[in-house]
Amino acid sequence: MGKIKEFIRKNKQFTLFAILALGLIAVAILAPVLTKYDPYQANLGGALQAPSAEHWFGTDKLGRDLFTRIIYGSRVSLAASLTVVAIIFVGGSLLGVIAGYFGKAVDTVIMRLSDMMISFPGMVLAIAVAGILGASIRNAIIAIAIVSWTKYARMSRSLVLKIRHVDYVSAAVVTGSKVSYILRKYMIPNILPTMVITAATDIGGMMLELAGLSFLGFGAQAPTPEWGLMLNEGRVFMQNAPWMMIFPGLAIFVTVVIFNLLGDSLRDVMDVRDE
Amino acid sequence: MKKFLTMLFGTLLVLAMVSGCGSKDGGASSAADGDTLKFGCFGYADTLDPGDQINAAWDNMRIGIGECLFNFDDTMTVQPNLCDEYSTEDHITWVFHIRDGVKFSNGNDVTPQSVIDCFEDIFGNEEGTSTPRKFIDYKTMTADNEARTLTIELNAAQPDLCKNLAYPVFMVLDTTGDYDFDTNPIGTGPYVLTSYEPKVSATLTANENYWNGEVPFKNVEVYYLGDDDAKTLALQAGDVNLVENITSAADLKMFADDDNYNVSIAQGVRCGFAYINQDGVLSDETLRHAILKAIDDDTLCETTVGGLYTAGYSVLPSALDYGYDNLTDPDPFDTDAAVKMLDDAGYVDSDGDGIREINGENISLNYITYPNRCLSDFAEAIQSTLGEIGIEVKVNSTDSDTEWNMMVNGEYDLCDSNWTTVGNGDPTEYLANWYSGYEGTDANANWCHYKNAEFDACYDALASEFDNAKRAELIQQMQQILLDDGAVLVHGYYNSSFISDTSITDANIHTADYYWLTTEIKPAS
Repeated sequence: MGKIKEFIRKNKQFTLFAILALGLIAVAILAPVLTKYDPYQANLGGALQAPSAEHWFGTDKLGRDLFTRIIYGSRVSLAASLTVVAIIFVGGSLLGVIAGYFGKAVDTVIMRLSDMMISFPGMVLAIAVAGILGASIRNAIIAIAIVSWTKYARMSRSLVLKIRHVDYVSAAVVTGSKVSYILRKYMIPNILPTMVITAATDIGGMMLELAGLSFLGFGAQAPTPEWGLMLNEGRVFMQNAPWMMIFPGLAIFVTVVIFNLLGDSLRDVMDVRDE
Repeated sequence: MKKFLTMLFGTLLVLAMVSGCGSKDGGASSAADGDTLKFGCFGYADTLDPGDQINAAWDNMRIGIGECLFNFDDTMTVQPNLCDEYSTEDHITWVFHIRDGVKFSNGNDVTPQSVIDCFEDIFGNEEGTSTPRKFIDYKTMTADNEARTLTIELNAAQPDLCKNLAYPVFMVLDTTGDYDFDTNPIGTGPYVLTSYEPKVSATLTANENYWNGEVPFKNVEVYYLGDDDAKTLALQAGDVNLVENITSAADLKMFADDDNYNVSIAQGVRCGFAYINQDGVLSDETLRHAILKAIDDDTLCETTVGGLYTAGYSVLPSALDYGYDNLTDPDPFDTDAAVKMLDDAGYVDSDGDGIREINGENISLNYITYPNRCLSDFAEAIQSTLGEIGIEVKVNSTDSDTEWNMMVNGEYDLCDSNWTTVGNGDPTEYLANWYSGYEGTDANANWCHYKNAEFDACYDALASEFDNAKRAELIQQMQQILLDDGAVLVHGYYNSSFISDTSITDANIHTADYYWLTTEIKPAS
């Protein structure tokens, strides 16, 4: 208990944002408890109502409660962003470690592939991939993962290269350690802190990209309550029912800020260089 | 020094940022200076050649270049225009008298021969998609310039050729010299094209040789604006004086509530509906009727799309003279009745997933739509409505070309569409959407695979029935057959709109969708 208190005292910023992030996840999980409406339940006669005691964030063009849709939207947005980050974190790091450790042809193939991916503007390539695969949130996740893994691969490769030829690794090799053991015991633990920090700071960015794809019609499809899609639905009502844009926009803004700052403060906590 | 330089750069940076926030001189002012009309509209074609595309013919006529021998009034009754008299005895040979004194905008006389020359160009355009033969299947066209008469002999009798001649594809353009229908058509309308950049802009000047009164504006600038927001913002900023068909109900209401703008709305002849594919799960008549009962057209039209449609149940708009009031709607909105119908038929949700089943399979409808004239809004609302009675609807909102291809390939259960029901003054072509007699031929338009022998017999009878009252009776009968069969999911009838600022007057939208810039629209002072 004392240790926890000490940690909190030392890392106030991190604690605050961790609590806020956990709060967001709690909101997503507890969505049915937090609102009495169904996010899909239309009330065609009650469309475009301004925010009121009955509908805190107003209603949309089909009379659906916007507060409910935003609360449920956190499920889609959070789950999708965390999935993207998990995929690129695991996939990208693994490819980078393999490239860095084995070098030569393996390194060349993986890194040239990565060079090819980063030679395209990320969002444009994601739009192309999502366009070819068809519009859905799953395909948007695949599209963004395809264009975003390179950062992790390049970073983990460079971290592995830094320690590839240090004495304890060479010692492990000459004492007959298996490759998988070396990777597991020496390489991954060494790169993990940096990669975790990168992943944490990426959550916000990925959320924005997913919302962007949905906004453009390449991600979530109606009637899914997804923030980017809701922004797009509200776009045509910008002048008359601004709440249809303001609240989904705020939801994206708040969530992205929380995860970005969480990532930043996580770096402060984990980055040994500051010590 | 370092501090000074930092401050200097900081100040410059701020100034550079702020400089982008300025507005043009004078700010948002009205675009009209009395002589010039600035019009924001959607451009459908990349040419103005009526023989090339039907959309091109419409675009051409919409900005006041080309005119036809006849035109339609707001009840879609055909009226004389460049032709002032006509006669026919057998509906095969038609004689049209070309009005005296009508000139093309370049000063050339409009003679019967010039009309034939123009029509021959349009009919001769083999690469075009306007299919003029579909409207007028002529055998010979002869001109008597002395008598100013044009004689058209048809291969088969037609009830009313004048209606077809009023269709924009049959506009009269000058073919003398080195003419160019594509980008520089010379017509008889009030305005003369001076520049044209497809889908971007066009400029026009008043036609000094206009035959039908004074032309109110010396200059017209047409801006082809791709989306509704652009039209709204351009009108608000004063960049244009007039826009057509803002399809955001909220924006339309905003303009209607503002004294600085005039909104003209007219029930047009367009019908918004969804084809019901009878080759799939919707071949089940009970299911079709239950679906039609479950949908609240009034709320959809009045609230969901904000009055941009007038609710209705038949495929032909209530404003037309085809007996709408005599029709009986077998499926008025009644959710309970819809649920009971499904329950009675045994279409219940037995596996508890919230979706009813037919023969053990979930009722899941593939609804294709595209974002045009609020069609996708209807689709989303219907998806939600049917979800509540246990019918799953998957909405696939795509572009119009993809939707068309999916429709032709039968890859749908419901397919949204928006048709000009009497584009050439008669609904026969439109009703072919449910006529099975053309199946397997190029003329087939029955992409929903609807079959009803009685309907087909009425359709066949239309071809040889020239009495307008009897035609109307047949058409009324056909509408009732479609209603009784639950063959079409009709959303309502699209209301066209013109929104203008106060610098111009009399900007009233017409029933027919191709009369936009007419001499009725004038400067305010």
